Amino acid sequence: MTGIILAILGIATATVLAGIGSAKGVGSAAQSAMGVLSEDSSMFGKMLVLTLLPGTQGLYGFIVGFLILINAGVLGGGALPTVGQGLAYLCGALAIGFGGMFSGFAQGKAAVSGILMCAKDEKNFSKAMVSITLVEIYALLAFIVSLLIVISVPGFAG
Amino acid sequence: MKMKSVRIFALKQDRKRLLEHLQDSALVHVKHTNEAEQGFLRTDTSAQIKQFERNIGITEQALKILAQIVPEKKGLLASFKGRPEIDPDEIGIIASNSPKIISVCNKIIKLDKQRADYAAEQVRIKTALAQLEPWKKLDIPLNSKDTASTAVLIGTLPRLYDNTSLSEALAAESSDLVFEFEILYASASMTCIVLYAPKYQRTLAEQSLRTLGFSQPINPTSRTPQVKSERLLKKSEEIKVKSEEAKDKIESYAEYREAIARTQDYFLLRSEKYRVISELDQSRHVFVLNGYIPEEDCEKLKKICDSVSSCVLEIEDADEDAPIKLKNNAFAEPAQSIVTMYSTPSKNDIDPTPVLAFFFYFFFGMMFSDAGYGLLMILATTIAIHALKPDKKMRSNLRLFQYCGVSTVFWGLVFGSIFGDAPAVISNLITGGNMTMADLLPWPILDTQKDALMIMIMSIAFGLVHILVGMGCKFFVCLKQKRYAEAFFDTGLWMLLLVGFAVLAAGMAVSQTLVYAGGGIAIACAVGLVLTQGRGKKGIVGKFIGGLASLYDITSYVSDLLSYSRLLALGLTTGVMAQVFNMLATLFGTSVFGIILMVLVFVVGHAITIGLNALGSYVHTMRLQYVEMFSKFYEGGGKPFEPFALHSKSFKVKNSNED
Repeated sequence: MTGIILAILGIATATVLAGIGSAKGVGSAAQSAMGVLSEDSSMFGKMLVLTLLPGTQGLYGFIVGFLILINAGVLGGGALPTVGQGLAYLCGALAIGFGGMFSGFAQGKAAVSGILMCAKDEKNFSKAMVSITLVEIYALLAFIVSLLIVISVPGFAG
Repeated sequence: MKMKSVRIFALKQDRKRLLEHLQDSALVHVKHTNEAEQGFLRTDTSAQIKQFERNIGITEQALKILAQIVPEKKGLLASFKGRPEIDPDEIGIIASNSPKIISVCNKIIKLDKQRADYAAEQVRIKTALAQLEPWKKLDIPLNSKDTASTAVLIGTLPRLYDNTSLSEALAAESSDLVFEFEILYASASMTCIVLYAPKYQRTLAEQSLRTLGFSQPINPTSRTPQVKSERLLKKSEEIKVKSEEAKDKIESYAEYREAIARTQDYFLLRSEKYRVISELDQSRHVFVLNGYIPEEDCEKLKKICDSVSSCVLEIEDADEDAPIKLKNNAFAEPAQSIVTMYSTPSKNDIDPTPVLAFFFYFFFGMMFSDAGYGLLMILATTIAIHALKPDKKMRSNLRLFQYCGVSTVFWGLVFGSIFGDAPAVISNLITGGNMTMADLLPWPILDTQKDALMIMIMSIAFGLVHILVGMGCKFFVCLKQKRYAEAFFDTGLWMLLLVGFAVLAAGMAVSQTLVYAGGGIAIACAVGLVLTQGRGKKGIVGKFIGGLASLYDITSYVSDLLSYSRLLALGLTTGVMAQVFNMLATLFGTSVFGIILMVLVFVVGHAITIGLNALGSYVHTMRLQYVEMFSKFYEGGGKPFEPFALHSKSFKVKNSNED
């Protein structure tokens, strides 16, 4: 049983930590976006895009969580993972958990600045967007590392 | 597109006609200069322009008020709809109606101002009523004077008293004072009283009260509070009615909305025309217009000028400041907006649109990667283009997503994803089997989860091609400008180096010979780079160190390449999210209720997936173009070609070229 509990801990770690990062990032971005919208509601589309940019970390965390859910057999059926395998899933989850959380914070800050920049001149939109996605690469790297670990845990590799 | 600079000479008497023709045809970008050439003068049209702009402002304000009071019923798809076309002759009618419409606008603005005044008055009345509230029990006016023998003092004390405590307090202040009082209102922070005392003791009474913090009401009136507040209420009612009347009146003007919008456009057209007039060099009988025109439009311009009798054209090769007009075939044209969103190409750049278009569609498809979603995109955009007849700009945006949709279908089929694994899930639900998409589809698929490593390698390989194409553009640009050293040493060697590494990497999987070949190319290029990159530095040592340091750039290429792993990440995200919702949808079993829930979860879930992932795919595709590819060769910063045309907002003049 320890193995599966470790795997479940991994699911929670990936989903929750990355989720915290995205929630904080999107939250602060949404606050500034609403400030801008109160002045000019026609910018809703652009603001929505910029606000959602820090939202991907949570998604990555969720996907890693989901893959562990499937691969480790938490949903029933198949053999239960050993302690070693459960620990491997947990370790895999740590990458996107922490990578997602801190890059979410940082991307949220970048998004706030991007929103203010876009509010001054709508032409800055694409520049703001690209600058904000620069942060995302680190969440992506963490995600890919997590992903590769999770799908290649020995004994469970597809 | 190749630009020509053009000078049009014509007689002043033809000015109006010629300018009208030019504005209709939208062929010429008028050159902006600050001063007239020698021997010519400029006409100052700023007064007229100001007048037009004031009218534009008035119409704008009136439209805003109308939108606020009588919101326009707009369909969900209204923003996609094209503007209605009008006949050129109709502009004349709009022009002749414009004074009437402007006066309507002024009326609307005036009524709205009245409403604002009424609203302010209401607030004032409300405050006055609130102030009167504590005095309601008082049956004499607030400003009542003393009678023949009695002093009357009306006012408030800043704390809570009842009859006993106030008597005690007053007695404590002055034992001689003879008084009688009534407490009209008492709260923790305020007690309203009326106090009677013998007239000869007035000063004494005042003094005692003052020490308790007594103050008289701020706005004493000559009527009893009851009467006063009734009057105020009545006035408030009246104002309310008046305000409603004003609102009704504004509402009755709603039918003019269309006409107001058109009038605004008319003034927009006029002010654009007068701006051009102020750029004309004029002598007593002749005027000259300096501008730019795409080479292919020269014939059209000649025809127009021939129709205006006294006109001479002078067409030359364009100078350095010429504006840039992009022209692409139907495949690449929709991506033009992506290029201009970054920056218009400068004169030194090649038009990156065709290259960008291909990779944009390709990468978007790979990230969104679902045949079902792709089909939906194609369907929605096709219907929108045909049913709503959108304007040129919107149409080209829709086309962009239509092409992206095609690529999305392609990648969806490659990855075996049609609304996630919906076909497999549904067939399992019916047959009770345990099929996967791989079993179901007749062609071999790449599973984003199981073959992730393979897809990651593919992504980076596509990235390498993308970057090499970008560098190839740089190479080409440098060759064109005869900057050979830059072309061969700075770009060519790096390209070869990257190819060398790629061959080496491929060799590791395939054969040892390729490893040696790739390694050889890479080392040779690295040596070449060390030898050439320091060429700007002084002295042998400086050159060597400069060359060696340039090898450090390899890190930036590596990070660029790794960046393409997002192709895998986003592709996987779409697939997994869709799969999750499919799983949730089938949790409720096959009862009627279960099926209803299933359809509901399916629709909502996939809508969420589409929304989130389409946005992600769009943003990240754009980033790959802007950051990874454009940084290799693209300068931007050119001036866009903005012809003198009929730039209207609410209608489109038939047969005009404006977009």
